Amino acid sequence: MSHFLLMVVYALLVSLFFTALWRRERKEQVQLFLQLFLGMVVGGLAVAWLMYPFPSGPPAPIP
Amino acid sequence: MSEPSGTPTQQAAAPTTAVANPLLAAVLAWLVPGAGHLFLKRGRRALLFFVLVLVSLVIGCWLQGNLYSPVQGQPLTLLATLGCMGMGVPYFVLRYLLDYHGDVVAIGFEYGTAFILTAGLMNLLLVLDAWDIALGKKE
Repeated sequence: MSHFLLMVVYALLVSLFFTALWRRERKEQVQLFLQLFLGMVVGGLAVAWLMYPFPSGPPAPIP
Repeated sequence: MSEPSGTPTQQAAAPTTAVANPLLAAVLAWLVPGAGHLFLKRGRRALLFFVLVLVSLVIGCWLQGNLYSPVQGQPLTLLATLGCMGMGVPYFVLRYLLDYHGDVVAIGFEYGTAFILTAGLMNLLLVLDAWDIALGKKE
């Protein structure tokens, strides 16, 4: 499973959860869902893009 | 000019009346994800929460994520354990009946750990939500 797909699935679950928890009206639910979902996915991509120039370093030792 | 009834100002000022036993609602909510909302007659939301928490947990286990338990000398693992225990019965079923621990060398270990921890934390929020609904502070 790709990293991106996992990130999208995670964002989907968390966005649905908080939408159901915090909003009752359908219009508000759609609005909040889109804000959370796009915020997480686009934000994740933006952070990944910003970190791209930095070297990842050696792999962490397995405990 | 008076405000129309039901405005946020009036709702905040109005005294709340408990609609159900908040302790029972919270305990049920902790034991089984969504059970607190089912007890409070929020059937559709209960089902949605149950599915969301369980899906998060199943994905986490499928990725072989860590089901935290306290490690001596690492106090943060205690917090993480409490977060995982937030999922209620599924935590104890996984740990003691299925003997699940996760696999630290699995390729999805870190992702799986995030999913499992998220399932526990989501259920802790459901406990608080059920408590508030039972007290009449929330719809």
